[in-house]
Amino acid sequence: MSALRRELEDNARKVFPDWQAAQDAEGSWAQMAELGWFMAGVPEALGGLGLERRDLAVIFTEMGRARMPGPALAQFLALEALVQAPDVPGREELLENAMAGAAITTSLTIAGDGLSAVPDADTASQILVRSADEVALVGLAGAKITPFPTWDGSRRLFSVEPAPDAPRIPLAAGAEAAALTERLDGLLCLGLAGDALGGAEAVLAMAIEYLGTRRQFDRPLAMFQALKHRAADLKVALETATALYEASSEAAPLALGAMKAHCCEVYKQVAEEAVQFHGGIGLTVEYPVHLFLKRAFLNRTLGGSAAFWNESAGDAVLERTSAG
Amino acid sequence: MTQEDDALRREIRDWIAREAPRDWRTASTHEAFVASQRSWFAKLVGAGYAVPHWPREWPGGGRSLAEQKIIYEELARADTPRLLLSFVSTYHAFATLAECASAQQRSHYLPRILEGETWCQGFSEPGAGSDLAAIRSRAERRGDVYVVSGQKVWSTMAQYADMCLLLVRTSADGPKQAGLTYLLMDMRLPGVSVRPIHQIQGDEEFAEIFLDEVEIPVSQRVGEEGAGWAVAQATLASERGLTLMELSYRMRGAMLRLSEAVHAAGRTCDAGVLRKLGALATRVDAVCALADRFLQKRMDEDERVGDASIVKLAYSRCLRAWTNLGVELADLAGQMHAPITFGDLNSGNWMADFMNSYAWTIAGGSDEVQRNIIAERMLGMPREPKNWITEARP
Repeated sequence: MSALRRELEDNARKVFPDWQAAQDAEGSWAQMAELGWFMAGVPEALGGLGLERRDLAVIFTEMGRARMPGPALAQFLALEALVQAPDVPGREELLENAMAGAAITTSLTIAGDGLSAVPDADTASQILVRSADEVALVGLAGAKITPFPTWDGSRRLFSVEPAPDAPRIPLAAGAEAAALTERLDGLLCLGLAGDALGGAEAVLAMAIEYLGTRRQFDRPLAMFQALKHRAADLKVALETATALYEASSEAAPLALGAMKAHCCEVYKQVAEEAVQFHGGIGLTVEYPVHLFLKRAFLNRTLGGSAAFWNESAGDAVLERTSAG
Repeated sequence: MTQEDDALRREIRDWIAREAPRDWRTASTHEAFVASQRSWFAKLVGAGYAVPHWPREWPGGGRSLAEQKIIYEELARADTPRLLLSFVSTYHAFATLAECASAQQRSHYLPRILEGETWCQGFSEPGAGSDLAAIRSRAERRGDVYVVSGQKVWSTMAQYADMCLLLVRTSADGPKQAGLTYLLMDMRLPGVSVRPIHQIQGDEEFAEIFLDEVEIPVSQRVGEEGAGWAVAQATLASERGLTLMELSYRMRGAMLRLSEAVHAAGRTCDAGVLRKLGALATRVDAVCALADRFLQKRMDEDERVGDASIVKLAYSRCLRAWTNLGVELADLAGQMHAPITFGDLNSGNWMADFMNSYAWTIAGGSDEVQRNIIAERMLGMPREPKNWITEARP
């Protein structure tokens, strides 16, 4: 890991040492802005830090570890859309505000699935609408915003119908919109994958710590080989997915989608086992392990399902091998 | 990637295009396969690609780990034969000789390895598999020889080996590791007999070695008497992650075989099949990325205890899944008994490939042993108490 990425990680863990530290949504939003996260992916010429996607990837993992509330992932997509749309009037001001923390939200489903799963739509002033025909910033005043409560309480999601006469700032149209939308979907997948791996690492550590503490049959549970082997398998799955994640930050959208499907499956697997490792206490609401389980399941459906991405990846394998 | 790296990559690619055998999968007997292994190894030695990890004074030696990686990447990409027959000689025997043997032993054996002398490893025994230190083959010192009797098992290609890295017991006292001694045994000595093991998929990659009062000169000992365990660690640590990278890349290249199976089954539009294929392809990519990252850690001297176990488990479980999917896709056609391809783990002869995948989930430290290492030494989960036998007995 480069010194820069190590520094990003260290700074994040100072501010958000564990998942509890980030649960005040308003406070953690201000802290993210203060850490410069919203400036990270914006080129220096536009007032940002000019970091690369693999640097952003570190931030996404930290967001997962902290089980970050709020629309931060949507914000990263909106920032990227603005960076990629050079000729938009007023762009510099929009960027400046967004880097300072003015929230722009967007759907966390892939384009074509409509404006569902939009985080914090009730407080954001604008929504980024992505489709193959047009990418635009649309004002949310007068929009029909319907809460979509999820089992995962860490993200506040809504369905959105913008007002017919809502102010609209087009960022891209036609072929450019299709390309930009694909790029943004790829970034969404990278973000969700990072979130999954950070969360998986946190919940695995939690479970292993618990196994070391809880005693039954005159020994810590962690001494039982049946549990050791399952923990080791989870560690292998997590490390393997992490290697793919780190190697994929610049990958094509399809590869990012398949990678997201893989990483989210690993998060689900780790969280599911972590609850089982905790035994009865894992089923109590006071114990935090369920929080990660719920986020894991939500992440898995956001950004396109595993079925969708795996089928696309399978198609690509057939195409690649029959062309060669 | 530096310019020198690019140049090396081009150089070896050109050489492979000219020199690599293309017909190695046609060997119809194990003997023919072994003959093709010998000639391929000799070619690699001649070109300076056989032992890039040896020191500079050897032909083609002195390569950095980054350069070794390039060489193996290209050998895998071009689907050249894996070096099975010479693997123990160039890695295990080399590391043992280089790190622990006397100057006389080194200068005697190392040149012979490049000339094609092959080695096998005599560690495992019927009663000492995962619990390697439980070795019972007994060596008794009589004057200037050790007289050795016992049995070794799972020795890769021992039936073709000239020499053997032999771990034996010279003392039954104290901790079981402390009574082991390390010998270099000539396989032609009286009292040595070898029996190939007929494996479930029809290969004979492994053999048993029977030792009946074999007299091995004391000068063939590596390290002191009783220091065999430490020497064996040098042998076992000899492989530095390149093999798993090479095998992972070969598995990725062989995704073609799974595609062929999908086509052959007429299921290119079957969403369920495509999902399994896509998920597996991504998992294979992940294993390749993991192997790459592991090598990078080694180059950066940033390796943690357990990292090697993670790579091995990730590969072995993925190989099992890979072959399983092939068997499933091929359906009844995959059950037809067909002659095996020697030396290929991803041949598309699905039942054979599937059965062959156990070679990686059991050999070289079984998956279960790797899981213990990860859990105990990486995740900090406590070991079980050692007093099972005393507790269990009344």
